Amino acid sequence: MSIEPITGRYVTVTVGDAPRRIYFEEAGQGTPVLCLHTAGADTRQWRHLMNDAEITATHRLIAFDMPWHGKSLPPEGFETQEYLLTTEAYIDTVLAVIDALELDRPVLAGCSMGGRIALQLAALHPDRFGGFIAIEASDFQPAWYDIDWFHRPDAHGGEMGAALVSANISPYAPEAERWATLWMFMQSGPGVFRGDLSFYTQDDSLIGRLDRIDTGRTPVHLIVGAYDLTCTPEDAQRTAAAIPGATIAVMDELGHFPMSEHPEGFRPFFADALERMATHSARAD
Amino acid sequence: MLTELQDMQARLNATPHLLRLGRLFTETVQLRVDGDEYYLSFDQGRLVQITEGPSRKTPYRFALVTDADALHRFWELRPEPGFHDIFGLVKIGRGRIEGDILTLVKNLRFFKEFMALGRWKEAAA
Repeated sequence: MSIEPITGRYVTVTVGDAPRRIYFEEAGQGTPVLCLHTAGADTRQWRHLMNDAEITATHRLIAFDMPWHGKSLPPEGFETQEYLLTTEAYIDTVLAVIDALELDRPVLAGCSMGGRIALQLAALHPDRFGGFIAIEASDFQPAWYDIDWFHRPDAHGGEMGAALVSANISPYAPEAERWATLWMFMQSGPGVFRGDLSFYTQDDSLIGRLDRIDTGRTPVHLIVGAYDLTCTPEDAQRTAAAIPGATIAVMDELGHFPMSEHPEGFRPFFADALERMATHSARAD
Repeated sequence: MLTELQDMQARLNATPHLLRLGRLFTETVQLRVDGDEYYLSFDQGRLVQITEGPSRKTPYRFALVTDADALHRFWELRPEPGFHDIFGLVKIGRGRIEGDILTLVKNLRFFKEFMALGRWKEAAA
């Protein structure tokens, strides 16, 4: 028998003028690292790193399910709402969680849409964070698919979404992790993946904000997988080039969900990113 | 190419989970490779007929248009980035989807796993 060190609890925060009951998990002690999942998925994407004793010996990893995702219920009245994530609501949610959990300038590690919002926060609220690890993140990605495919009464959006995003998983990913990663998409609530993609593929406001990011104050490190068709290495490199002082690492054998699809392959890149955050912090002190 | 497709047909028809996934898929798909047409007729997930073109009279639901080099690179066990998925081929300009793409998307896992059956041969070689 083995009981994992990850613990999960709920916290209720206010976003806009409404309460949101949010599920979060954490493991470890030390520098707080707030981890954001991708579109159409949840906190389970971070399970391997949260179970990594070496990383959690010096870092407190915290991950939460965005409202509508995983174990965070949609808000009251959702049955008549169309879920469409916005930059503003996403930012408000992240900041509300930081306040509720009393996190002191955590490192923000986000993947895909989580990486996009990490860069938005680097531009708009850098004082709240110790650094940014933007994984599979870019300034803007227009859709190469029709987001409406994933919310229809005559088909299973989760299964279609999983089949689509499998295009972003590396052939080097272990089969068990590939399918565990896809399972989260299969489980995604109706319209949730579409509502996330609405934010991810239609809001290009980050482009004009990249030059506000001051990496002298808070470091920004991008990580991108070569097998990511959605945010390609070229997309991430273009984004990094627009942020003076940002650094980037390309993972030759990984895809769009590196922490979940291929934990062993991703680990050294994440450890390197944490080291970069710590080095910057030590210099600032 | 016909031999490869016939091998894939045999594998599909002996793969229970794919037949289950494709049980609602009764369609003809055109595969166009370097301009050569192959009409793949599926019946409840089973590939029942492969017909070589050209044909202007064979209706098909959607088509995957690519070239033989791209397809063989797609069938490698660990394809290079872009060659690892049919949408990757589209993204890197080595493939095109034509026709009723929604039908493809509704049966995407089935069709992708069918197309990937060519990888078994590469593994055995």
